[in-house]
Amino acid sequence: MSNYIVLVKQVPDVSQITDNAFDPDTGTLIRTRLASVINELDSQALAFANHMRKLSAGGGAKIVALTMGPPMAEDVLRYSLSRCADKVVLLTDRALGGADTVATANPLAHAIRKIVKDVFGGNEDYYIVTGMQSVDGDTAQVPAQIAEELKLPCIAYVTDVEYKNGRFEFTRIISGGSQVVAARKTPVVVTVAKYEYPLFATFSLARQANRTRVFMWGSEEINASMIGAKGSKTAVIRVFPPGKTSRKCEHVKDAQKLAKILVESFSSGNGEPSEEGDGEVGRYILPAKRSDRLDRSFEGTAKEAEDFAALRKTLEELGISDVEQTDDSAKEKILESSEVRFHKKALEDMLEGLKLTEPSYKGEVWVVAEHRERVMHPATYELIGKARELADSVETQVGVVVAGKGLEGTSKELIAAGADNVYLVEDDLLAEFDPIAHRKAIADAIQTYWPQIVLYAATPQGRVLAPLVSYRVKCGLTADCTGLDIRDSSRKGQIGILLQTRPALGGNVMATICTKNSRSQMATARPGVMKRLPADASRKGTVVKHKVDITKNDISLEIIKTELGAGDVNFEAKAIVSGGKGMQNRDNYEQLVGSLCDALDRRLDTSVERGASRAAVEQGFIERVHQVGQTGTAVGPKLYVALGISGAIQHMIGVANTETIVAINSDPNAPIFKQCDYYIVGTVEETIPQLVKALED
Amino acid sequence: MANDTGLNRAEVLVVGGGPAGLACGIQLKVLRPETEVVVIEKGAELGNHNLSGAVLEPEPLHTLLDSAAPLWRDSDAAKNVLHAKIDKDNVMFLLGRKLSFNIFIALKLAKMFGLGFGQMIHMGDYSVSISRLTKWMGRIARDIGVEVLCGFAAEDILYDEATGQARGVKLVDQGLDKEGRKQPNYVKGETIEAKFVVLAEGCDGLLTEQFVEKARLERQTPQLYSVGVKELIKVSAEQYNKFSAGRVVHAMGYPIWTPVIGPGMFGGGIVYAGVQEHLSVGMIVGADWKYCDFNTQDALTRLKEHKFVKQYIEGGTVVEAGAKMIPEGGWYAVPRDPTTGSIGKSNVMILGDSAGFVNMLKIKGLHNAIDSGMQAAKAIADCTDQPTDAAVKYTDSILKSNVAKEMKSAAKFRQTVAKFGPLQGMPLSVFGDLLPKFNTEPDYEAMMVAKYRLKPNQDFDKDTFTAVAATEHREEQPSHLTILDKSICQTKCQPKFGAPCITFCPAGVYETIGDEVKPANPSNCLHCKTCQRKCPFDNIRWTVPEGAGGPRYKRM
Repeated sequence: MSNYIVLVKQVPDVSQITDNAFDPDTGTLIRTRLASVINELDSQALAFANHMRKLSAGGGAKIVALTMGPPMAEDVLRYSLSRCADKVVLLTDRALGGADTVATANPLAHAIRKIVKDVFGGNEDYYIVTGMQSVDGDTAQVPAQIAEELKLPCIAYVTDVEYKNGRFEFTRIISGGSQVVAARKTPVVVTVAKYEYPLFATFSLARQANRTRVFMWGSEEINASMIGAKGSKTAVIRVFPPGKTSRKCEHVKDAQKLAKILVESFSSGNGEPSEEGDGEVGRYILPAKRSDRLDRSFEGTAKEAEDFAALRKTLEELGISDVEQTDDSAKEKILESSEVRFHKKALEDMLEGLKLTEPSYKGEVWVVAEHRERVMHPATYELIGKARELADSVETQVGVVVAGKGLEGTSKELIAAGADNVYLVEDDLLAEFDPIAHRKAIADAIQTYWPQIVLYAATPQGRVLAPLVSYRVKCGLTADCTGLDIRDSSRKGQIGILLQTRPALGGNVMATICTKNSRSQMATARPGVMKRLPADASRKGTVVKHKVDITKNDISLEIIKTELGAGDVNFEAKAIVSGGKGMQNRDNYEQLVGSLCDALDRRLDTSVERGASRAAVEQGFIERVHQVGQTGTAVGPKLYVALGISGAIQHMIGVANTETIVAINSDPNAPIFKQCDYYIVGTVEETIPQLVKALED
Repeated sequence: MANDTGLNRAEVLVVGGGPAGLACGIQLKVLRPETEVVVIEKGAELGNHNLSGAVLEPEPLHTLLDSAAPLWRDSDAAKNVLHAKIDKDNVMFLLGRKLSFNIFIALKLAKMFGLGFGQMIHMGDYSVSISRLTKWMGRIARDIGVEVLCGFAAEDILYDEATGQARGVKLVDQGLDKEGRKQPNYVKGETIEAKFVVLAEGCDGLLTEQFVEKARLERQTPQLYSVGVKELIKVSAEQYNKFSAGRVVHAMGYPIWTPVIGPGMFGGGIVYAGVQEHLSVGMIVGADWKYCDFNTQDALTRLKEHKFVKQYIEGGTVVEAGAKMIPEGGWYAVPRDPTTGSIGKSNVMILGDSAGFVNMLKIKGLHNAIDSGMQAAKAIADCTDQPTDAAVKYTDSILKSNVAKEMKSAAKFRQTVAKFGPLQGMPLSVFGDLLPKFNTEPDYEAMMVAKYRLKPNQDFDKDTFTAVAATEHREEQPSHLTILDKSICQTKCQPKFGAPCITFCPAGVYETIGDEVKPANPSNCLHCKTCQRKCPFDNIRWTVPEGAGGPRYKRM
């Protein structure tokens, strides 16, 4: 009989963001203006655990809900109690505040150890069930990091479970398909990507919940090793509002007009959407290579850059050229200058910073390759493109590490894509992706060569592997970056560091993050965001074989079945028509998406591919291989037509590189209308036949 | 599953966590701390389903809080809720799109002469957000030991015909799909048993009306309703200061009543100062309007366009909005037991708006709701061992209280207006007690093939309205709105009136799909229930959807 620990988190209700939730001056979100709710995926995880308990007829099994947060986070524990939890634990302590994912995972893992000891009486047969990610952080790192701390297998992106022959078989999402797996042993961490039947509170349990004691544990009770801001390995240096979308968001009233727009926008434009997140100052140059050694125009924040510019001007005016020998009287003079708006301590830090010329990190810039049977995921090439740029900035080489079986043939393409060195970790046991075995392989390579930067793709696989590896090698990790830039933080004595910019709170804010207390800077980047370089077959590179001792004990999962969609989807097509949940059923999807594809095909004389939102795939309207979005394929056509798709961020990320986005949806409040170029408010059943007719006229 | 724990039983069950229900809970805990009081509320949080102007006459609240939380005056919450004492009280008569006359002096005179109209003066009252007030009362209730459970919707009252008592209530089933099939997370609606059942559901309460029918309570005249819509508008600091923070304006006349050519509807507009830089603008219209193409929001649009109102709100942003009905029938429309005269029966008491304690001369009911809650608490505390005496004791207490006194003084006002129309009716009502009691018809019978003369050219943007009301329901549940006989829509209503539900529903729930009128978007519903009182063929029924659905008012 297994027990369950469900990790729940209290998050701001981002679905209810109103205008007054944003600070009018800074444009950032004021979290206190939002109601707090349980993270939706965690409520699904709770129901999932209850479902598992029922399937295995584990009547006596306990469900313990665990959360970490301020005292008010007790609400999500009451939520859990009023549905199915038997016991609840709140980890709350000021010392735990300000934590990044590492300093969150670590105390949670220690709390889990205490729960197993105190509540389960040492019974090691348990499952840790949690939502794949939270809507506020959206990193998906904590569950995997907990797994790493506890040395447990991790089954991520789970959508379903069956109980067969005395064990659980989990269905999970993988790139381009799904897979049924079972854990070789318990305990195991299960992260739920979707379970559509969250539980309802019952009156009696809700009353019971108010009578139940919440276990409150502080940091001392759990004796965690990495907590709070001190134990964190990343730090947020800047939060800012996302750039106003350049999408036109134009409401088109009739299908006739939309048909015209479709044809016109398809035949115009250069098809090069701008890249998000990149700085405005141009390519980074190391201080030693700058024409003026006082030049500090590559600081991480605009404020720092301004301060340094003011200092530079003042130094020049005072005729001080040698920073090394700035004595106290010189400092006084500098501080008297009208340009200077900082205090003495800051000045001293800045003068120290100006002496630095060497980059703070050493080593190559690495990309962890993702492949299926030696066919690289497109994101790998995109990351190599980015790695090339970063490596050139800090004057180092690009390395790509690949783990698998029989990899000899892969290096040529990787080098052509921009790699200088390819590290192959080969073993028969690495043939299939197993999170535990692969993290061992990759971590071992990293710890041998110590690159200064490691990039992973934010795919279902990369989002599990990256936190496992980074936690293992004790490095900070930033998830789902849309911008990666090399900058200085001279005042803090850091030169040539990686700034990692990512959306947070459901895309409502952007955060720039840097790594700390780590030997290597790690980040995952969303597929489709970075640009691959044109392949250059003449490029030269070296291949390094790295041997890691992988044994059968390292294989944590048994893969029972893999289902990939039929492989003949051409997402390179210049036009894509996608259907969502609003298509209602498979027949509608077939008929409506099909007819619009055909009409566009004839009118625009181009091949048009069919796409779908995750919801449509889940509903069985079309095979998973057609799924567009973060968990499907990222696309960048000239024209993207979204039919009955609400516009969840996970979907919109996958179409960010599209030139023109057109949406048809019956819900006038559909978020997609704020993220597209043209839209019609109307039902697909009515609008599409009109549009098809207009296209044919 | 937990039946054996006793948690499905409560000594006192209050249905509805609004001001009346919470006042009852709080007062009961003061009088008899050992009483087990459970308040259930269908909204996801307290205050979510509370919408009002609101002008609060504070005395009953003060009395309640003085006994329950003596230090309340110093709390931040008190300052937050009771921040705006009314120091400027205007009654404007609007004529056409531009003219306005201040007729406050007439009311002052009326007050001097002791005429009913004088009650309309609000000086010294508070302009409050009823959502915030409710939330605050909820905190006090919880602090004093009332169990307040949100997100639980009751669909039925379990009435025992033989004893004349209610055994308890049944909650709504959850986890059904649109076709009513059980999903994996299905939970059958639990039965909650209670010694005392307090119905404090607000206007046109689902259980209240069921109980009125089952227990054969009677109203001397049918309940009359009005429909109120309100927007909270963020305006500039200049506009707000120009309006002034302690000011309330009631507007009569245009756009619902003009001399001679009409329209001739009862009601009026409001402009109240809200929290900093926010103004509440609303329109309240008697539901006995006859225009089949009328929508209260159309009148609101016209009010907002009027020169007097426009100056304060032009360029502002609507940040919150909502709709509700107000029970206006007054004292004669309070449901009572024909034998004992009790408001409720046996162990069941009916409070606040559910009973209809709105004083139409004051256009206020909030203070009476709170007061009635306190009276119910006294009654319960008085007969803990004889629950069947509760309704009679409660009614005795009400009759001795200020509630009955002022309800009686305004008793004939609304009926007189309904009978003679606003022009003759309002002056006539001055004669108060001298008038006979006029019999009126239910609101839905008033509908005629007549058009609203001042209909704006553009349809009201109901989508934005519901979006800022933040209304939400789980989509995959059976529709909580039912059309009883679809053939009536097709053969009678559409040809004659053109399906007015499509127009008057403030949330745009009703649509024609194919040839059929359907509650096509039940998830937009604001729980105002106008449809079930205004469908000209009395052909629509509102039941309660799964708990935690509906609007999410925060500052209404």
